[in-house]
Amino acid sequence: MKKYSAALILPILLLLIPIIAPSFAAAAEETVCLQCHGGQTGHLGEPVPLWRESVHQANGISCHHCHGGDPTDFAMAMRPERGFIGVPADNDIPAFCGRCHVGVLEDYQASAHGRALGSGGPQCVTCHDNHRVLRASIDLINPQDCSRCHDYGRAEELRQAVSGTDALITGLENDLAELHRLGFDTKPMSGTVFSLRNDFHRLFHSVDVEKVRSKTAVFAQDLDKVEKEVAAIQSDLGKRKLWGGAMVVLLVLAGLYALLIHKSYQEETGED
Amino acid sequence: MSLFKGLMDYLDVRLGVRDLIRQNLTGYLVPRRANFFYTLGAVLLALFSLQFVTGLLLLIHYRPDAANAFASVQSIMNDVPYGWLVRYAHVVGSNIIVIALLLHMLSVLFMASYKKPRELTWLVGFIAFNLALALCLTGYLLPWSQLSYWATTVATDAAGAIPVVGEMTVRFLRGGAMVGEATLGRFFALHVMGLPLLLGAVIGLHLFLMRRAGISRPPFGPDYEPPAPLTTFRHEDHPDGIPFFPHYVTKDLAGVFFFLAALAWVIFFAPVLFIPPTALEPADPFVTPPHIKPEWYFLWAYQTLKIFPSKVVGLGAQGVFMTLLAVLPFLDIGPERRPAHRPLFVACYSLGILLMVALSIWGHYS
Repeated sequence: MKKYSAALILPILLLLIPIIAPSFAAAAEETVCLQCHGGQTGHLGEPVPLWRESVHQANGISCHHCHGGDPTDFAMAMRPERGFIGVPADNDIPAFCGRCHVGVLEDYQASAHGRALGSGGPQCVTCHDNHRVLRASIDLINPQDCSRCHDYGRAEELRQAVSGTDALITGLENDLAELHRLGFDTKPMSGTVFSLRNDFHRLFHSVDVEKVRSKTAVFAQDLDKVEKEVAAIQSDLGKRKLWGGAMVVLLVLAGLYALLIHKSYQEETGED
Repeated sequence: MSLFKGLMDYLDVRLGVRDLIRQNLTGYLVPRRANFFYTLGAVLLALFSLQFVTGLLLLIHYRPDAANAFASVQSIMNDVPYGWLVRYAHVVGSNIIVIALLLHMLSVLFMASYKKPRELTWLVGFIAFNLALALCLTGYLLPWSQLSYWATTVATDAAGAIPVVGEMTVRFLRGGAMVGEATLGRFFALHVMGLPLLLGAVIGLHLFLMRRAGISRPPFGPDYEPPAPLTTFRHEDHPDGIPFFPHYVTKDLAGVFFFLAALAWVIFFAPVLFIPPTALEPADPFVTPPHIKPEWYFLWAYQTLKIFPSKVVGLGAQGVFMTLLAVLPFLDIGPERRPAHRPLFVACYSLGILLMVALSIWGHYS
């Protein structure tokens, strides 16, 4: 039987061709958390649309990754014996998020922000929002948000100190994403940038302008290496396009030349 | 005496090559009014040959096992000199082939070239079209990406809808309960050996049938009249035609060059046109990517099933459509081929194309 398997699969595949495509519809399934809360109104339903816009959603982090519980079982989804944690108290939020963001938690706790926790100081969701969890970016340091608690002046200094390196990281991330999309193996470079980005973002959670300034040169040096690798690939891509363009033009010319010869034959034979 | 003439004389004495050339090339007359759509056969032969060559080159570095397949494709794209070019040519080429196949089929339908005595040519061509789609389908799994894995999972899962033997068929296609090493082995064997051999034979038969019956005259122009019904075999001659070589071959070559130019343009300027982002991530059986959609040429079928309230009805409708298309020459038996004299057919043909395009666009955005 095994010997003839490939031969038998073929007719089955051919018969299936018209019916294969439609079954793609049911591929993606959602957790019971999303199914249940997604259908609710009011504050119980609010988290789902917010989460769908979040950086967590974009990276495959779902409800149960933070809140625990069983995402496959309606009845047991929110049972403590399945690890359900629920909503943390305000002062517990840094520890709640810090289970994954370990480095950031350390720098935050050592910062003026962290030291003020419990006495009106901000915690993670104050800046990053909850459920809609905003991607850590320089845009989070802005007059509207920072002025909710204190004067923007010092925050602006911090923003200026990190802006150059942050722009470089963002630019490299975009370039690497584009190269990855084209089939280049960017994993080692992306890993380096990801690591540097995390270290850099961890650094500015210290909200210490002098510390940020003193370490920026080290980050710039490491990022420069990746930047050069990216530039080399982009240069290759440019050459590819040049050769490709020439090939396209040559093929079109060859086609036109063949048509021209055909036309001369037509005239020779009095063809229509 | 030149070397070429010497060689020709040598072969002529032994094989009668001059007679062969006269019969099949220089003395073989094709219709004067053969339009650009008549070059699609040559275009397809050129594209299939390119697929064969690029596939052979990919085989040198590709490793058909689940642990190494994705890495080997990555290596082809990044480490092997010009590997990216070979792979893109293979991937983009498969999509261009489907486009050329569709144009070929649509032009044959419009000119009613499938009619007597070419019913078998159409039927064999329709089988070749389905084999080409099966090649696309089996080739999809080989890179062992997220797209490969999940597209094959849902595609093989479709067999489960078949009454009684559904579950058994799914296991048979996969070689187990889930898509895995055994599935990859099966699809690999089919993609690189079974299907190409079969397709080669079917294309050979298609060409034989076409050559035997003769090229059909385009049903256009003031002097065209539907031929009298055939009662005995007769090769369709074109005494007022033009020699296949070199006259018509130049037109074929122009078609081939223009299609290759389109292929090269996509390869160099829009290489990911047919490659979704999920095709760039390694297969992960534990993470289902959202928005899995079939290739563009299956979108009409995908959307059709979503429209019908019952899966069985939807599948039945698709089955009826494909069957009708396959046996069309046996149903549409009138001698008239001129589109202007077949308003009902042309209306159905145009509406059918519009419907397919609309369903595909709907499927893409749904």
